[in-house]
Amino acid sequence: MLNFLFKKEHRLETLFFGYLENLAKTQEHFLKAINLCLQKGQCDDFVFLIKQTHKYESRADDFRDEINELMYSRALIPEMREDIMNLLETVDRIPGTMEMILNIMYTQKLTIPEFLAAETKDLIRISIESCDLMGRQIEVMFKRKEGVRALMAIIDQNETHCDHIEQQMIIRLFESDLDPFAKLQLKELIIAMGEISDQSDRVSKRVNILTMKRRV
Amino acid sequence: MLPLLGGVFLGWSLGANDAANTFGSAVSSRMVKFWTAAVLASTFILIGALLEGGSGIETLKGLTNLNLKQAVVSSVAAALTVTVMTFLGLPVSTSQAVVGAILGIGLLNRELNVAGLGKVVACWFGTPIGGVLAAVVLYKLLAHAFNRSSLDLVRSDILVRYGLIGAGIYASYTLGANNVANVTAVFVGAGKLSVFAACLVGGGSIALGVLTFSRGVMQTVGRKLVQLDPFSALIVVLAEGLTVHFYTFLGVPVSTSQAVIGAVLGIGLLKGINTVNRRTMINIVFGWLLTPVIASIIALAIYFAIHLQYIPG
Repeated sequence: MLNFLFKKEHRLETLFFGYLENLAKTQEHFLKAINLCLQKGQCDDFVFLIKQTHKYESRADDFRDEINELMYSRALIPEMREDIMNLLETVDRIPGTMEMILNIMYTQKLTIPEFLAAETKDLIRISIESCDLMGRQIEVMFKRKEGVRALMAIIDQNETHCDHIEQQMIIRLFESDLDPFAKLQLKELIIAMGEISDQSDRVSKRVNILTMKRRV
Repeated sequence: MLPLLGGVFLGWSLGANDAANTFGSAVSSRMVKFWTAAVLASTFILIGALLEGGSGIETLKGLTNLNLKQAVVSSVAAALTVTVMTFLGLPVSTSQAVVGAILGIGLLNRELNVAGLGKVVACWFGTPIGGVLAAVVLYKLLAHAFNRSSLDLVRSDILVRYGLIGAGIYASYTLGANNVANVTAVFVGAGKLSVFAACLVGGGSIALGVLTFSRGVMQTVGRKLVQLDPFSALIVVLAEGLTVHFYTFLGVPVSTSQAVIGAVLGIGLLKGINTVNRRTMINIVFGWLLTPVIASIIALAIYFAIHLQYIPG
């Protein structure tokens, strides 16, 4: 009823959910790019998907800047402002990591070897699932509903699983006959891929703390 | 007008110091601009003084009979006590300083309403206890409602923010209603002012103190409250307002700072944390005991000083 009085707060809410939608689009294009690379290697479509991923990553930065600007214009309680800005900064590392992974593959002309393809697919699938769950968890936090802890538990489980896959991939990589230089390049790529689920887990834990802080 | 200056000064310093208890947390956390808070606080202090300030005035003027000279002495003594104790960094209650000064003159007149004094002193002890109780009950009730509400994060944030402003307005109203008696009651007793004029002058001088000199205190004292989470800060201000309002109904001026400390203590008890340290508690008890005594001594000293006569030798 009094919505017109709280324009900043509503704009903030719209922007934050807009940011999450944009994150989902970044994930979608990132996933398509990786799958395409696994199927066909680096091709024109792969380059197009990299550009798309970059486009959504840049848009995420725009959302973030506008949210921060709103915060500095005194939307929300100061304590909450700080919490939301920190949360956003943590979430924003995820699209950055996705773009970085694709850039590593593109600039260093990396193709994932056949013996790592299945595990890479698993690693990315679970990481993206964690990102989705993290987005849902943030939404639950914003709506002050139950379920933040349960989602955190699943994200945590996924992170453990991803760590395990990442470790197995590195072991198999160094057991292979690949050129040592290529091994190091691929190791860097695998670690970057593992970072997505690690970061989702960090965000999820932060969301849980924020939810507990908000309970009085 | 000149005899009222002591009272006006007392009201001014009261406004400058005690506005922090009403809007300090909102201003220091930058939820409200200082000027918005100062205008809101001073307006509602004046309204509180005009609407409900009369009962406290009746109580204080009934403690003893003062002539105009004695009224001026007691109000100057109270103002000096507050200034000296603030300067020494000791917690001070204007209400206790005023009653202490009246007590000193009353002893001199050998005329004191012991029953009235007993009621006032009992209320002094009751103020922090009232703050504790109000904070505990309010926190339990409102936290339950808050946690069960279907408000999302942004709307609950808006609720707390505007709740804090609303609580500040209410606490300002009760500050004016309760503490105006400290400023001008003695002049009503001395027949210099009507009750309405006393409320107007007293409320006006407290409001002036808020507008001209409360910014620094609001920011430093408020910061201590904001160390609590915003919801607890809201409860503290609301509990303070309720406690002070309760004593306004009883017609006894009390200390808003002591009500705040009680409320903060109450939040600490509920959350199992130490919100008020031992040193602060010792200072408060020390201030309780010392303020009326010092005010009495200063009142008597001034009274004797103005009656000294030069006798050529």
